[in-house]
Amino acid sequence: MSQADYSFSEDQLAIRELIRRVAREKVAPRADEIDRTAEYPHDMFALLKDLGLFALPFSSSYGGTGSLLTACVAVEEFGRVCYNTGYLLVVQWTAFGALYAAGNEEQKERLLPGLASGELRGAFSITEAHSGSDVSGIKTRAERVPAGYRLTGAKIWCTNSDIADFVLVAAKCKGSDDRDSINLFIVEKGTPGFTVGRKEDKMGARGVPSCPLFFDGAFIPEANRMGPEGGAGFRLVMEALNTSRPVVAARAVGLAQGAIDHSVEFLKNRNAFGRPIADFQGLRWMLADMAMRTEAARQLTYRAASLVDAGVAGRELAAAAAMAKCFASDVAMQVATDAVQLFGAAGISNEYPINRYFRDAKVVQIIEGTNQVQRNIIANSLLGRESKR
Amino acid sequence: MDLRFTAEELSFREEVREFFRTALPAPIRAKCMLGQRLTREELKRWQRILYDKGWATPAWAPEWGGTGWSPVKQYIFKEELHLAPAPEPLSFNVNMIGPTLIAFGTTEQKQRFLPNIASLDYWFCQGFSEPGAGSDLASLRTQARREGDGYVINGQKLWTSTAHLADWCFLLVRTDPRAKKQQGITYLLMDMKTPGITVRPIITLDGHHETNELFLEEVRVPITNRLGEENRGWDYAKYLLGQERSGIARVGVSKMRVRRAKDLASRVMCEGRPLSEDAQFRERVAALEVELKALEVTQMRLISEPGAASKAPDPKASILKMKGSELQQAATQLLLEVAGYDALEYDREFLRGEAAAARMECDWALTIAPNHYWTRHVSIVGGSNEIQRNILAKQVLGL
Repeated sequence: MSQADYSFSEDQLAIRELIRRVAREKVAPRADEIDRTAEYPHDMFALLKDLGLFALPFSSSYGGTGSLLTACVAVEEFGRVCYNTGYLLVVQWTAFGALYAAGNEEQKERLLPGLASGELRGAFSITEAHSGSDVSGIKTRAERVPAGYRLTGAKIWCTNSDIADFVLVAAKCKGSDDRDSINLFIVEKGTPGFTVGRKEDKMGARGVPSCPLFFDGAFIPEANRMGPEGGAGFRLVMEALNTSRPVVAARAVGLAQGAIDHSVEFLKNRNAFGRPIADFQGLRWMLADMAMRTEAARQLTYRAASLVDAGVAGRELAAAAAMAKCFASDVAMQVATDAVQLFGAAGISNEYPINRYFRDAKVVQIIEGTNQVQRNIIANSLLGRESKR
Repeated sequence: MDLRFTAEELSFREEVREFFRTALPAPIRAKCMLGQRLTREELKRWQRILYDKGWATPAWAPEWGGTGWSPVKQYIFKEELHLAPAPEPLSFNVNMIGPTLIAFGTTEQKQRFLPNIASLDYWFCQGFSEPGAGSDLASLRTQARREGDGYVINGQKLWTSTAHLADWCFLLVRTDPRAKKQQGITYLLMDMKTPGITVRPIITLDGHHETNELFLEEVRVPITNRLGEENRGWDYAKYLLGQERSGIARVGVSKMRVRRAKDLASRVMCEGRPLSEDAQFRERVAALEVELKALEVTQMRLISEPGAASKAPDPKASILKMKGSELQQAATQLLLEVAGYDALEYDREFLRGEAAAARMECDWALTIAPNHYWTRHVSIVGGSNEIQRNILAKQVLGL
């Protein structure tokens, strides 16, 4: 495995400081309300827009820093106080990254500046009711018609879809060789035959809406297909998603750190048996374990992100990114669970913020796919693929 | 040590199983199967059915409505109830205030309260914890001053579950602020219709209203509703807390959940095959079933010990509480992983059984996340698992 020594530049430290301060002063006071009401936080979106963060991981020609490490730090710092606000960034970056990887010049010119500035919002949709991790099982079809395609099918859990100006939708096309390939289509809001269903009331990640999508012969012009027919565009996007996997890990690190922050404050201020409960060794050791694991997750995440920044890709990056994601998401869940326990009965009451971390961590575990896939990737990098039988 | 059931115990189990099969109303069973929350009326209806059979309070002293069953039969009954699946009779009534009244109440109090407690005509809630007194319960500050033929109470209680449904409250108050804290506490029975009581709902992380905050302002309780002697309330409370601990492993509940997870997994597809055929899933289930079996054997061992039927609670019951709560949480977690995406939606009307699920094809999944989240409380209430560790260390290991 390559050694990536990373250190933060002056600029990166300054960005971290800025975001930490903004998160504490402007975002933290809103976090509980966003979760409780499950209302899209327009003010948080405006804040991120004003800070110019929507192109942060991408090239400076779009106003970004070109650094995935910087992006991870941003997500972590926001995630410490408000998972949903961090998520707004990630959702925007996912749409941007997909177009950046697989869009043609016209599509990029049409949509990337707006995404970077926050004038436009995007969403990304693969998942269907009967195909979660099994992407090849999707049933949404794009049928070739003159000048474009007709889209038919349904999607679930499309995050940001009720507010997005366009959704990148994965659908199957039958090629001239009669074989199916999966392609991505830019589906604009308001396209006839395209309906965004009712927002789901969710157990966690409540601030960014998820909705089902319905396609009833919606016409998509040729110019909105990403990449050539045959699936090359889709594969490029999947590769881009793999490269951005450290950001998922950073979401988890932020959650874990935020849970620790809240726990420290609670332990110091809560008294029982005549002393602050921060004095009790059992609880001190619990917190020490939480901090240790979170720091380990953080380092794995930063290392994976810095490998991306150093231009490492493919097999070598895949293992490092998988380690970061797998470890960090498991740590976030353990830490959030322990934090609820540390709070006692207050931990399960909606009057205290900590159960929000537990619910959000649980959602991350469910939606980001099983960590078994991550383990496969790591094992493959060490042992090669299993022999075919 | 022979842990196998005798022939008589096996036939008792059949009798109990048959009773639950026939006497448990189908709508209540259906709600229990789906993990939906039961209403006050449903719980009262079911407890009345048990009461009419003479089985609502099997562990009570026989002269006050107990069945006189051996500890093994008590265990069998409880497990069959969980496996039915049927709701437990209200724990505050049957496991807490009932036995405490039997042990320390006057004959008049027992006659007045116990039948109503057993039938659930009187619904009791527990007014113990306060904002500044959870694990450190003895530091409670709700005050009661003696006035005329009763007490006048001022103070606040917290995490008073079901107070919004309750008729009565068993309450710990401070009657002597100058005494050592465990020695200035009195145990009272408070009518929830008394003027001066305000119940404020607290919503928990599952979005449900189960627990409350109680504000008490100049609330009058007659002296005839005091349990035992003034300033001896802590002793009676300790008795109750010891009782609470031993019924709390709920092995049957966890078994039922694992059974359900296996059944659901056979119907959920994962990469073209039922999840029940997935190696990872099978390993998880096996590991959990091994732990459950170990807990079950431990529980059987404790109840078979000579003296198990005596009144003094065994500190080793802390093992059952700790491990039982951890396994309950592991079982709900397993269910959550089986349900996957379909568990993420929050349908509050369906959770309460007030409406059919908005998406019927996955209605079985919709209660799984709220119940998993709610189950976080079992490692916290009834003496947190941290407190249980202290008890084991001091009273069992002698450290």
